[in-house]
Amino acid sequence: MDGPLKELAKLEKLVSNSNTAKGKAPSVSDSLEALLLSLKEAKERVQGGTASPETYTSLAKTVESTKKDVDDRQKEVYNSLARYGKALDKRFTAPLPSYPPMFTSSESSAALERTIAQHFLRTGQFKTAEVFIEESGIDIPPEMREHFADLHRIMSSLRQNAIAPALEWTEANRHFLHSRSSPLEFNLHRSQYMRLLLSSNHLAALSYARANFQRFHDRHSAEIYRLMNCLAYMPPSRLQGSPYADLTSPSLHADLEPMFAKEYCASLGMSRQVPLRVVGDIGGGGALARIEKGRKVMRERKSEWSQADELPIEIQVGPENRYHSIFACPVSKEQSTEQNPPMMMACGHVITRDSLQKLSKPGG
Amino acid sequence: MSDPTWPARRFRFSPATTTTPHLDIASARTFTSTGAMAGNRLNVDGIMLFEQPFTRVPYENFRKVFRTSQKQIEKELGAVQISAADLAMKAHTPSTDKKMANSVKAIDAMISRVENLKRKLSELQESSGSPTLTVMRERSQHLANVEALQSEMDPEFSRWADTRLDRWLVDWSLRMGKERTAKQIAYDRGIENLVDIELFSDIRRIEDALNRRSCTEALAWCSENKAALRKLKNPLEFDLRFQEFIELARARRKDDAIAYQKKFLISWSETHLPQITQASALLAIPPERAFGQYKRLYDATRWTNLVQAFRLSVYNLSTLPTEPLLHLAMYAGLASLKLPGCYDHATKNPDCPVCDSSLGRLAAEVPYSHHVNSTIVCRMTGRIMDENNSPLAFPASGQIYSREALEDMAAKNNGVVTCPRSGETIQFEELRKVYVS
Repeated sequence: MDGPLKELAKLEKLVSNSNTAKGKAPSVSDSLEALLLSLKEAKERVQGGTASPETYTSLAKTVESTKKDVDDRQKEVYNSLARYGKALDKRFTAPLPSYPPMFTSSESSAALERTIAQHFLRTGQFKTAEVFIEESGIDIPPEMREHFADLHRIMSSLRQNAIAPALEWTEANRHFLHSRSSPLEFNLHRSQYMRLLLSSNHLAALSYARANFQRFHDRHSAEIYRLMNCLAYMPPSRLQGSPYADLTSPSLHADLEPMFAKEYCASLGMSRQVPLRVVGDIGGGGALARIEKGRKVMRERKSEWSQADELPIEIQVGPENRYHSIFACPVSKEQSTEQNPPMMMACGHVITRDSLQKLSKPGG
Repeated sequence: MSDPTWPARRFRFSPATTTTPHLDIASARTFTSTGAMAGNRLNVDGIMLFEQPFTRVPYENFRKVFRTSQKQIEKELGAVQISAADLAMKAHTPSTDKKMANSVKAIDAMISRVENLKRKLSELQESSGSPTLTVMRERSQHLANVEALQSEMDPEFSRWADTRLDRWLVDWSLRMGKERTAKQIAYDRGIENLVDIELFSDIRRIEDALNRRSCTEALAWCSENKAALRKLKNPLEFDLRFQEFIELARARRKDDAIAYQKKFLISWSETHLPQITQASALLAIPPERAFGQYKRLYDATRWTNLVQAFRLSVYNLSTLPTEPLLHLAMYAGLASLKLPGCYDHATKNPDCPVCDSSLGRLAAEVPYSHHVNSTIVCRMTGRIMDENNSPLAFPASGQIYSREALEDMAAKNNGVVTCPRSGETIQFEELRKVYVS
């Protein structure tokens, strides 16, 4: 975006009317101001009876030159704007592809609305979810609403810096959290401790630490060490400039909300990532561009996709987005199917059954 | 292979095969092309593919503001020019009291015009110019921010992608007529300058008018965007004019219709002569006796088509795609993930978006993903097996797991490993190495 930003900065200067603007022509408001002065002066002369024919002709000249100045200035703005537009065209060479309408059937549009409603609930946009559910008139199962309402209750307490409801939940689900190695419970205590410390209540902070950090010593000892060292940098203003300044960041508290939501969802068997985010990030992170490129190549070669219901190219996704095992035969390059399953040979290599049969034929 | 559990029954020793050159090639390639790192580097071009309209909409808005200012300048200064020239012409006539009074009056009128222009321009700048420029700045900067990032793992990118999804949801809501949801998201997330609520409420206002059978608002929009529409060879204005003509014909106001045709349709004769001829004929045919093409001209569906044509013109002008951005992203995202296993109850994975019943329903409309490389997920750890964590097979049942998981199990059980699926129990050393390339 360097090109567009550079042109935009020039445009902003030109439009701002400030004296620093380096237009060749004076700014429009300056020109008009000067014209007003000339007009008023001429008026005084006429009223005072000192107006000569030159007064009128020179006034007409002034008007003409003002118009020219204003036009010049406008032209500069226009050109600058056009240059910004060109810079945008240069940055965005490929338009978005046009696709036939999708997700239009009543089942699909209901599924999409459900997905979006769940997304709002899941990401804690409860007010938005409420407006959306009402505006769309969709039905969300009562237990889902309840789960998320519970989540909401705990999250809004968190937002008001009350960690008790969240701790109540983490204590009830300690075994589950431990099995996931989740630092949620520790982070809740950490947030409370730092809040006490930053409100200059270091005695309370110290006793809070003694009461609550013990249990986390085997898994968070380094962090606890850092937390305790903060006491040496009191008052809070000094802590800001210390090596522990990162612990004063508001994100220490703000991050609790999404983390809590994630653990809560996992305990209900819901996906670890927000599904719409995953799909959107993959689609918007290069997949659409790759698919379009694949389509273009196919069109140029005038060949059809071999299988209409399979993409012609592989879209690589990160390891965190690989949810299923896939076996692609190294010999035939085909994906295995129920009818053509992977087989392991004596040497330990695996190929599909069809490939294996071809290889074991004489002369294969 | 769609099954994450990689069923044992499929997985046997082949009795007679000896190593062949093919397999050597295969083994040489073993574990070299998992592509597992592909997800990390930020694909800026892929991201930017979606962002053209994001910068285009405020750009078009600013052009509109500029044109308005230009019109005002022409109008007011043009008038001042005429008055000044007029005064100059009379400069040499003898000076009288009457002439003096007239001159003062003329100059006063000029002063008030210039003051008026000055005020209007500064109002325009304040109410539209500056805010639009701010939007242009914020959006360009927003894109520059993501360009500067290197990796998808950057937390900054995660926040950026959060905002992007919010923007897509606003776009989607606006297109689906859910304006309250759109406004709520924008307000809640503080992204008013990054979404086009105004554009869509304009669209809505004009579409409502078309649905009331009034072309006035849409024609005003056409005249605001005349140059751009002409450049795109967009015939919307003609279609609207033609419709107004049809309505005059419907009302049997023949004289008005003829006058209208002369004033507004004839100028399009170069590109739309057949329709203009058709229009003339239409005057002779009242709606109740209309047939064939003339019946179609009187048909009410023309209004519905106008609504669609108008919306497409707006999208076209702003480089907005006809489908919501969210749909396009979802199409590509779902197709990248979709596997037959997502629809098999035995192989569903709760973390997989396509395995979700709602998203799975939507994914039915997109193609399956295509794979030339294998990905084998360990069903004990959920991790992908690769050269550092190679797959090992139980020899009798053929079940495979990652080395990591099995080493862990062996360490806890004195070197004995048990397959959780088949119950096969053996020494760790008896596990077979498996080569999957």
